[in-house]
Amino acid sequence: MIFTTLEHILTHISFSIISIVITIHLMILLVHEIVGLRDSLEKGMIATFFSITGLLVSRWISSGHFPLSNLYESLIFLSCSFSIIHMISKMGNHKNDLSTITAPSTIFTQGFATSGFLTEMHQSAILVPALQSQWLMMHVSMMLLSYAALLCGSLLSVALLVITFRKNIDIFFKGNNFLIKSFFFGEIQYLNEKRSVFKNTSFLSFRNYYKYQLTQRLDYWSYRVISLGFTFLTIGILCGAVWANEAWGSYWNWDPKETWAFITWTIFAIYLHTRTRIHIRSRTNQNLQSTNSALVASIGFLIIWICYFGINLLGIGLHSYGSFTLTST
Amino acid sequence: MSSLLLNPNRAFSPLSRQVLKASFSSLCSISNARILLGSCPTAHRVVGFTPRASRDSFDAEALPESNTKKKSRNNNKKIILFGSAPSPLSEERGGSAGNASGKPAAEGSSWVFLQRAFKRVLAVLSNLPLAIGQMFTIAALMALGTVIDQGEAPDYYFQKYPEENPVFGFVTWRWVLALGFDHMFTSPVFLGMLILLASSLMACTYTTQIPLVKVARRWSFTHSAEAIRKQDFADSLPRASIQDLGIILMGAGYEIFLKGPSLYAFKGMAGRFAPIGVHLAMLLIMAGGTLSAAGSFRGSVTVPQGLNFVVGDVMNPNGFLSFPSEAFDTEVHVNRFYMDYYDSGEVSQFYTDISLYSLDGKELMRKTIRVNDPLRYGGITIYQTDWGFSALQITKNGEGPFNLAMAPLQLNGDKKLFGTFLPTGDADSPNVKGISMLARDLQSIVLYDQEGKFAGVRRPSSKLPIDINGTRIVVEDAIGSSGLDLKTDPGVPLVYAGFGALMLTTCISYFSHSQIWALQDGTTVIVGGKTNRAKLEFCDEVNRLLDEVPERVTTDKNMNG
Repeated sequence: MIFTTLEHILTHISFSIISIVITIHLMILLVHEIVGLRDSLEKGMIATFFSITGLLVSRWISSGHFPLSNLYESLIFLSCSFSIIHMISKMGNHKNDLSTITAPSTIFTQGFATSGFLTEMHQSAILVPALQSQWLMMHVSMMLLSYAALLCGSLLSVALLVITFRKNIDIFFKGNNFLIKSFFFGEIQYLNEKRSVFKNTSFLSFRNYYKYQLTQRLDYWSYRVISLGFTFLTIGILCGAVWANEAWGSYWNWDPKETWAFITWTIFAIYLHTRTRIHIRSRTNQNLQSTNSALVASIGFLIIWICYFGINLLGIGLHSYGSFTLTST
Repeated sequence: MSSLLLNPNRAFSPLSRQVLKASFSSLCSISNARILLGSCPTAHRVVGFTPRASRDSFDAEALPESNTKKKSRNNNKKIILFGSAPSPLSEERGGSAGNASGKPAAEGSSWVFLQRAFKRVLAVLSNLPLAIGQMFTIAALMALGTVIDQGEAPDYYFQKYPEENPVFGFVTWRWVLALGFDHMFTSPVFLGMLILLASSLMACTYTTQIPLVKVARRWSFTHSAEAIRKQDFADSLPRASIQDLGIILMGAGYEIFLKGPSLYAFKGMAGRFAPIGVHLAMLLIMAGGTLSAAGSFRGSVTVPQGLNFVVGDVMNPNGFLSFPSEAFDTEVHVNRFYMDYYDSGEVSQFYTDISLYSLDGKELMRKTIRVNDPLRYGGITIYQTDWGFSALQITKNGEGPFNLAMAPLQLNGDKKLFGTFLPTGDADSPNVKGISMLARDLQSIVLYDQEGKFAGVRRPSSKLPIDINGTRIVVEDAIGSSGLDLKTDPGVPLVYAGFGALMLTTCISYFSHSQIWALQDGTTVIVGGKTNRAKLEFCDEVNRLLDEVPERVTTDKNMNG
């Protein structure tokens, strides 16, 4: 009994902390830069991570099995993975704005999980025989970590596309924001010194320079995060195949969920291939390449959601543990 | 000061490099339209800059000096010196052109023609956009395979994609059946695309990646400061010694090669080789999968507790390479089938106690299997996949025991319903009355009387009698049947090896290959470097390492401040 109350308390704590974190982010971005608050943001995200992990651990203890048996638990795990990704990206002490993607993602998945759609899954349930295996931990956790990383990376690519194709970027010029300067004179600087844009050593305009810097940064971070996610996805799919061989006798059954996971893998392999080994001779080609790969990553965003959620909605096939029906509550 | 906002987390670097802060202020003035950018973000180490025209990792033009192909031998124990190779694509083109024109005609023109055709095909197949197109097509076909229901009878497709009312205006059952989309994953279209992708993989590995390895393994020294300054990352350290730099880099895990005034260091070479490993692992997996598809046996059987069967009788071959093995002559005996339950009454696990006997009656193996824990013998694997209710054993009014066969009324995955009927009175009359018994699992039996009203629940283990319509029934035992799947698959070892290799090489290819060149120019050391993946981290790391290079203040050198 104590663990269920603990679970409730931790759910509330994680939800509120992350709401505060997002509010502060928005304040900083739109209103006024307060340097001291950045530290508290970091601490806030770490606190969220601990409370979500605590939630999962208390669920584990109270139910006796690893907390990944239905959609609710996998969503909680997904929000935990988002906060892990956030912390990994901060580990190298790079100044990046990945937190603008990870923090809202965490809160949205957490919010959806705890919302009214899935109330019947909130109680810890028993594990069906097919799921009673050590492989459960490895396969499902790897898949969820990879989903989190790939979602972050593809959201960054979507942001890149949006910024590339917008005519006016008004939001960045509210007032004389020091924030922008600190963003853009950051590490990304060295990446751009050799670009053709600096052949003529005068800039086309203030705006184009910042826009270019921002797209370069987004491109780079999207590439790194997606490569990480791709590694996890590979490991997750292969663990799933080995588990299937142990449980059902064949390592690949063209199950809808398996097939869509493979499609996701293929799309992100295409993404990685569009970025490599192509001679870039001019700035326009460079932009074209990054736009192409961003386009592929955006398609990947949709594919991941179909793979994770869409198949569960259909509720067919061997992976039906994660299914749920949309009832109007 | 704006520099604080530039890098609030960074301390200022040591004294030796503040000499270069001459143009620092001009750097920081954002209001100017013109900004000099030299290197990494600390911004007060400025060299000059030259925009690089190309991002290619092996652009040999960036190192003009090394094109002279000197191959002098080393006379210092730490030195290796080679000329650099030209870029792989030109090598390939040059190779094919040279081959085509240089082959002596004495070998026969048909041989030349074949060689030329082969090289053309290779060049076409290793085209990257083609490979990307193939991958897209395969992804689209797979998506289609999940949308269209697989493996149904043709009638189903006649109804679902009728000719009178085609889906999306043109998709009728003729399209679906002609293209083989009803069995998409074994259809010629899909398999053909897979074969094409495999051949592209092989062509690409052969033509592009292996030459890349050869180039990566040759390294070159540069003797021109200009070439070094053209790198992605470039910097210069006044009053430093190249040996100090070498030692510091070595401490950071780089491999150092030092000759005279120039130095070459690299780290993470595995990151260059790993993509080749990925492709090879994928080819291995495809080969294993082909072997599985062509040479495996499958079988499925439901065996009531206490009965047995011979392996060879239930196995069906899957392809043209399937050959039965000796182990097919084994007899499988189901000793006992039982289930475990949670406190809530739901099934927690299925167990089957199996013995294997040879045909002359000798027991070969005995094991209790359950879901996720199969039995392996002689290449055959027996899995627990399903269960059934075979018969209910009861005594009626002290007579018996009778075995009543249980019929499946509802089979819905793990939720099943079985039932049986014990007639009371005349069994041959048209509307025979009797006692009905239903069960969801082997644990409890629900009994109903002649009118169909609920009479009671009994567990087989309790042996408690129940009186229904004057008949005394004792439920003795519930006899279950075990659903077993048998399989033999020769491709599994190959596929597992491919899996392991793929996981490993995907992880390794995340590392990035960093190279650093340095030149001692008087008392200044000019450093340049590049990396193929982790550009930001490389930049930070080299910054940090260069911070540690000590400043040499000597009085006997000709310094000019």
